[in-house]
Amino acid sequence: MSTLTRDDIEIATRAADQFTRLYYSTYDSPARTIDLPKFYRPSSAITWNGNPFAGANGIRELLADTPITKHEVQCFDCHPIPGSQPPNLLVTVSGTVTHGNPPTVPSTNNAKSKNVDGQPRVFSQTFVLVPDPSAIPAKTGEVAKYYISADALRFVG
Amino acid sequence: MASTTSSSSRNILTNALRGAGLMDRDERMRDIQDKPGGRKGSSKIRAHRQRPVDNYKDQASGPSRVSMLTSRASSSEPLSIRGASRPTAAGRIRRNAVSMNTSKVPGMPATSTTNVGIKVMDQWREFVRSRYNRETKFLNLERMLDDPIVQKHNLLVPGVPGSSGKETAIMFKLAAQLRPAVQTLSLANNHIQSGKDISSIGMFLPKLANLSLANNQLKAMDDIRLLTREKNKLDFLRELVLTGNPIKGDDPANTEQYRRDIVKRFPALEMLDNEPIVKVGFDAPIPHTNSSHRLTPVPTTNSFACPMGASFLTGVSGGVVSDFLTRFFTLFDAQRSELLDVYHPAATFSFSANTSIPPRARIQGLHSTLPNQRNLKWDVWVGGGNGGSRNLTRVGNVDKMAQSLHVGRENVIQSVLGLPQTKHDIAGSPSAFCLDGWLAGSTLFVTVHGQFTEEPVSALRSFDRSFVLAPAADDSRAKMKGWAVEILSDQLTVRGYSSSDAWTPGPMIVQPIVASKGSQPPSLEAALASVPEPQREQVARLCQQTGLNVKFAVDCLQQNGWDHERAIANFAQVKGSLTRDAFL
Repeated sequence: MSTLTRDDIEIATRAADQFTRLYYSTYDSPARTIDLPKFYRPSSAITWNGNPFAGANGIRELLADTPITKHEVQCFDCHPIPGSQPPNLLVTVSGTVTHGNPPTVPSTNNAKSKNVDGQPRVFSQTFVLVPDPSAIPAKTGEVAKYYISADALRFVG
Repeated sequence: MASTTSSSSRNILTNALRGAGLMDRDERMRDIQDKPGGRKGSSKIRAHRQRPVDNYKDQASGPSRVSMLTSRASSSEPLSIRGASRPTAAGRIRRNAVSMNTSKVPGMPATSTTNVGIKVMDQWREFVRSRYNRETKFLNLERMLDDPIVQKHNLLVPGVPGSSGKETAIMFKLAAQLRPAVQTLSLANNHIQSGKDISSIGMFLPKLANLSLANNQLKAMDDIRLLTREKNKLDFLRELVLTGNPIKGDDPANTEQYRRDIVKRFPALEMLDNEPIVKVGFDAPIPHTNSSHRLTPVPTTNSFACPMGASFLTGVSGGVVSDFLTRFFTLFDAQRSELLDVYHPAATFSFSANTSIPPRARIQGLHSTLPNQRNLKWDVWVGGGNGGSRNLTRVGNVDKMAQSLHVGRENVIQSVLGLPQTKHDIAGSPSAFCLDGWLAGSTLFVTVHGQFTEEPVSALRSFDRSFVLAPAADDSRAKMKGWAVEILSDQLTVRGYSSSDAWTPGPMIVQPIVASKGSQPPSLEAALASVPEPQREQVARLCQQTGLNVKFAVDCLQQNGWDHERAIANFAQVKGSLTRDAFL
């Protein structure tokens, strides 16, 4: 197993940066049920808060029954996973997500202000991104086209 | 040098121009005849402050104007640069003005005195239109100083003393009105010296695909930073040319760093200075340039597809995972150096600090009531672990990106030894942890969410940790030490504490129910009963937010197409004019 080069690390980092921006802006867009499944393949394994879904159709099904979202990515990291070339990527993201309409200004009433319903949740999401050998890189400088092979999400706060 | 850079600046547009022929300067004739300007401009520039000087005509004179004129003239030689017909300096001042006179009496014919601002806008519009090729969607603003229209009207393009970011902002604003939308913009050869001259590009042309700034005087990365500020960044820019600017430098040793710094700022960039950027792609949706996506129904569901589920493992026995995790966290707490055996020789490890305060934990007061929370400091994570936190939303420096990723098991151990002491209470309540794991081929992916006590502060932190595991090879150190698996990758995220209640299995509430029975005044409840069921909740919410009564809330929502945010905005506009009977 060859050791990772600085180039591998940089490409992985850049990929994660681009991926997180695209993924969550798509998730939060009105066209999400059309656009978000494009990141997946029929073989993609998805768990959403411990519930399994399969492939692009699975994510479509899940989204059709999920309130509108607003994600804020606060932290992400990415490794090229040793042993594959071009490398598979392990991406972890944490941040907050608001479902439905954003909460109104917290009430001054003390009892009410303890109510967390409607407030943003903390989420943690782990992706495995892998190159699609059948996809022809379409853009200049693109070494491979990646898709989500696995996606595990939890609300954690 | 000059010839290579100027030819490369043209290369940027190869794609845009392919099949459409080269941009012909004489194109402008067509565009000028195509009714430039018109009244439209007047309403678009209202935001600019009106200056008294706008009202002066060339012949007019006054003491204040003379002094402005003097200072102008002493500081500049614009007219000799152009060698064009020499208009009066007063004319220059007047034309500097980008504002317009709004005091014109409606219905009265505009006099030249009051119409000056509009005229200036029309001149800019004439210029911008003359430079636009609709077929190639290419706005060619190269060598503006040499342009006959610029010279004729003395437009303050960059490079003319007295010009500022304001004038370029006008051009980009007018460019935003061009149809079809501008895809390619060249500002090559324009004496642009400051990022201020280009800072408004993102605001007015947010979907721009190609940009050339070749052969200008941009010196510092700060100038480029102005192009990519928070909301106005060029997220869809595919090609950028900065050749012939001091920022690029002559030293090839610095080129790598320069390219990295630029690439980081533009997520969609594919070509920089005519060289491709190596990267991986996604089947991402292309930015919508029309409004067709608005036809997609926005999901209106107010519940989740599934309840929160328990820990989920598929394709792997729970025993393997729990044996691994128990032994791993026991050693991580007590004897980290012993973990050397379980990491693959080429393993990767990094940790990231998510220092944001979790909103729900804050409301619940967890950070103010739990012991020692106030004594926790982030710096032990942000700067610790032999390379620091690798939160890539924060790490901008390319060297730091590499230093904070620990490759090879010895480096991994060096890093974890530099992190604060921890206590994972794995023998305690199982509900304090939650895991998801799945098998892909022979590779096992496990993500653990949970909490630990950070020592010596003795306060709680939450964490997420993702492992990529492979079966331990027969001759591996892991196998010899009795591990069934070895670690290929290990990513740790440390967060401010949130209660493990977050993953308690069961239904999850999306929004507080505001229209629930008994929580509304009886009169409101009765009135709400007359609203059809699908809309009742929204009406109740608007009533609660605005104090409007049901009748007016329904009216307001109807007039705004049942768009809640528009209704709220509309209410904010009109609330001053509403009478008492509109309210509860």
